[in-house]
Amino acid sequence: MTNFFGLIITILCYKLGQISKKIPVVKKLPPIVVASFFLVAIIKIFNIDYQSYSENTHYITFFLIPATISLAYPIYKNIDLLKKNKRIIYPAFIISALTAIISTYYLSIFLNVELNIIESILPKSTTAPIAIEIAKQTGGIIQLTVCIVILTGIFGAMFGHRILKLIKVKNDVAIGLSMGASSHILGTARCVERGRKKQIVMSSIALVMVGIISAIIIPVFIFVVKFLNI
Amino acid sequence: MKILSKIANLIFGFLILMSFYCVSLLIVQLTKIPIPPAILGLILFAFCLVKGIIKENSICNICNLLINNMSLFILPLIIGVVVYKNLLIKNWIIIISTIFITTTLTIIITGLFVEYGLKFLRLRRIRKK
Repeated sequence: MTNFFGLIITILCYKLGQISKKIPVVKKLPPIVVASFFLVAIIKIFNIDYQSYSENTHYITFFLIPATISLAYPIYKNIDLLKKNKRIIYPAFIISALTAIISTYYLSIFLNVELNIIESILPKSTTAPIAIEIAKQTGGIIQLTVCIVILTGIFGAMFGHRILKLIKVKNDVAIGLSMGASSHILGTARCVERGRKKQIVMSSIALVMVGIISAIIIPVFIFVVKFLNI
Repeated sequence: MKILSKIANLIFGFLILMSFYCVSLLIVQLTKIPIPPAILGLILFAFCLVKGIIKENSICNICNLLINNMSLFILPLIIGVVVYKNLLIKNWIIIISTIFITTTLTIIITGLFVEYGLKFLRLRRIRKK
């Protein structure tokens, strides 16, 4: 029974998070935040050891691998849109990934952050399953990465549209792309709430493409920075 | 009968996805390229879908199911942050300010680049005409 306890409470809290979308007071919060709040509360109340919990739930986290690979499907579905504006869109993916990586690295160095935390923060603008893979590769702390990825997503989803309005970006392709590229799935969810089709499609392509590009750039970037000592 | 065929379709799709993972894991281990195996799997899978090597109806159900429930798979890892809470508490100002500044910067640069890039392309197209 104890073996399945972790599994059951995780699925239960996930369902609670989904139900919370229909409750007016907590409607604005991302379901994953509500779910993790309940899960932490249950773990604290029942005094469950994290080690045994993570052993019980590795059946769930295993599915991150096929889930990452299945992200190819939205790209395939919207391949026409990618071809249409390719002269702007592809450079935009690269610029976005580079901005996120370089600014995060040098700001963290400037703020004297420890190296293993920097490695955990670097993939923060990519979607969680891709960020986990990158953190595994570079030696970051996976759990910290997930937390930072979600915080980034929440920040982007909350302020992204406001920032873009402030700098007078009005094109739906531009808005969708920068939301997906900077705040991954949570940014896309915000675009879904706004209901602009072009924004939603662009944002879901951007989150996958920027993820792939970051996964290629980050290991190389860390290697170069360490090698040249800059 | 309908349910059975749907389950079979899901299992078949899942096996396709996992075989992509196995192949990319093998490639990464043999060639030692610094790219996460699942990401290489994603790229290979996208390539095969676009080229029509894999049919859409064999994988669309499993892909939608996995993508829609992505947050369930991440949930156990978020809880892992409990173990690192001291690290988070110690560095919270740094982490929060890094997230705020760099995410804002990424949003601004990407947004402006695409907005003005598209305007530039449109202008050029009009001039050509």
